[in-house]
Amino acid sequence: MMGLQVDMQPLIGRFKIWARTFRGSITLFSLAGLLLIPITGNQYLTTVLVTAMIYSIFAASWDFLAGFAGQISFGHAAFFGISAYFTAAFVEFARVHWTLSLFIGAGYAVIFSLLIGIPCLRLKGPYLALGTLAFALILWNLFLTGTWLGGTEGISGLPSLGNIFLVFYIVAVFMIASLIIMRAIVDSRLGTILKAIRDDETCADASGINTTTYKLIAFMISGFFAGIAGGLFALHLTAVNPAVFQTLYSFYAIIMAAIGGMVTIYGSVIGAFLFTVLSEFLRPLAAASLLIFATILILIVRFWEEGVMNPVLEGVQDAWDIIRRR
Amino acid sequence: MHGTSYGGGSMGTILEVKNLTKKFGGLTAVNDVNFEVERGEMLGLIGPNGAGKTTLFHLISGFEKPNSGRVFFDGIDITKKKPFQIVNLGMARTFQLVKSFHYLSLLDNISVACLSPRGKEAFEKTGIDEAASSILSSVGLVDKARLPPVILPHGDLRRLEIGKALGTNPEMLLLDEPFSGLVHEEKEGIGRLIRRLNDEGVTIFVTGHVMRELMTLVPRVIAMHQGRLIAEGSPEEVANNKIVLEAYLGRGEGFA
Repeated sequence: MMGLQVDMQPLIGRFKIWARTFRGSITLFSLAGLLLIPITGNQYLTTVLVTAMIYSIFAASWDFLAGFAGQISFGHAAFFGISAYFTAAFVEFARVHWTLSLFIGAGYAVIFSLLIGIPCLRLKGPYLALGTLAFALILWNLFLTGTWLGGTEGISGLPSLGNIFLVFYIVAVFMIASLIIMRAIVDSRLGTILKAIRDDETCADASGINTTTYKLIAFMISGFFAGIAGGLFALHLTAVNPAVFQTLYSFYAIIMAAIGGMVTIYGSVIGAFLFTVLSEFLRPLAAASLLIFATILILIVRFWEEGVMNPVLEGVQDAWDIIRRR
Repeated sequence: MHGTSYGGGSMGTILEVKNLTKKFGGLTAVNDVNFEVERGEMLGLIGPNGAGKTTLFHLISGFEKPNSGRVFFDGIDITKKKPFQIVNLGMARTFQLVKSFHYLSLLDNISVACLSPRGKEAFEKTGIDEAASSILSSVGLVDKARLPPVILPHGDLRRLEIGKALGTNPEMLLLDEPFSGLVHEEKEGIGRLIRRLNDEGVTIFVTGHVMRELMTLVPRVIAMHQGRLIAEGSPEEVANNKIVLEAYLGRGEGFA
């Protein structure tokens, strides 16, 4: 679109400067740590982290739409699920290579983001949220009761991408690329326009901005990345069933983005990892785990309104400054 | 006022309002209003609170649709156009209750307007940031370019409103109550800014409910009361018009 022309040289220079900042170094350090995990050979942990990385993309795509364009969606599972289904279908029935299938699946998510966006964008605030929720519920029921694409059973037995360690690195590449692209978009001129629409739509209109077009662009970009997450989800599990359309998945995205910190993109990673790892740890407690989980969520939302990422990073930075001064 | 050809775009006329009427339920907020604005002129619109000035502005700028009547800008019928389309034809507006993008810097607030199709056409060659920055300095806010609007005093927000409108490279500005809520010095500053923009060739249509503020600024005034235009002429003529005085002061009160 606009302002996304890439000029490599200053980019590398900016990367070097960023890498030396506190946030830059801590990000690179954490990332290096994450990428070393498969080397431990721990299959279970690796599998959990693959799921967390997929959710990171999904939560970030929600944050992109809600945090930066101001359009609250309660139906993000629709994009996630549509892409999961079409990715699986193209791999399973058309024997298309998984990379191409993934982008075809994400393409279908973009088409559905338009189908949802065009009628729903006349709605604002809670009404938009309910409109998107309704769309996801319709899709869920269509896939649950329909006989196409495997009906209630869904599609299973997709060829595996390889062992879990290979899957880990494939998903990691997609996660890093998706997050960097989304962050670059919100920092571009297009991002400025989206943030303007979020802050005051009437004012953006009066500034000569076609708000409908830009909101649709935001929906499509968000749908695309939610679709990438959904497609990876299906490829990782080598199966897909109507449960991917559940409202629960829509709320996963919101919860993870909120835990990590909205209007950040990168906070979604923190949220997704905390969420996934925590729910894994609590799994043995069965029903009690839900209670504990809900309590933790309420505490986070109550005491860290802006999510955990920024307050924790600031805390660590302050502590580090104190240590260095001694 | 009547008799000019519709949409003919006679060189002198930039805005033509024809028989404009807007009803909200039983209330007729704008009632069969007709007037023209000449290219390059500075026209004032006065009237007491509730006269229908803001509704008239909403109708002209596309934020409300009239029940009947037409609006022509530059000879183009804009009655059914959307606000952003009207802005991109060259008519920008400000709001009585200031609006801004709360979490963007002042520079980005202006940049958004410069990124509109019309703004881009005018400013892309010189660079959007440079254009936004020079607009900020022309409205006297360049030293606050990196601040968000939420921390600005009201007077600066009024300047920002005008700056955002200028970002769309307008031929004509609709200024809705640009003096309201300002102290005397701020009013004078805004008045000088408006006069300078008009000297640079921007057609100005400005409202106010306090007569004195507009009277020193504009050479021609139209007056509105209860949705109707009740007078037109030089500030002195309108200020001494019996109907206008009655509208402001109430019927039957003596006024020297």
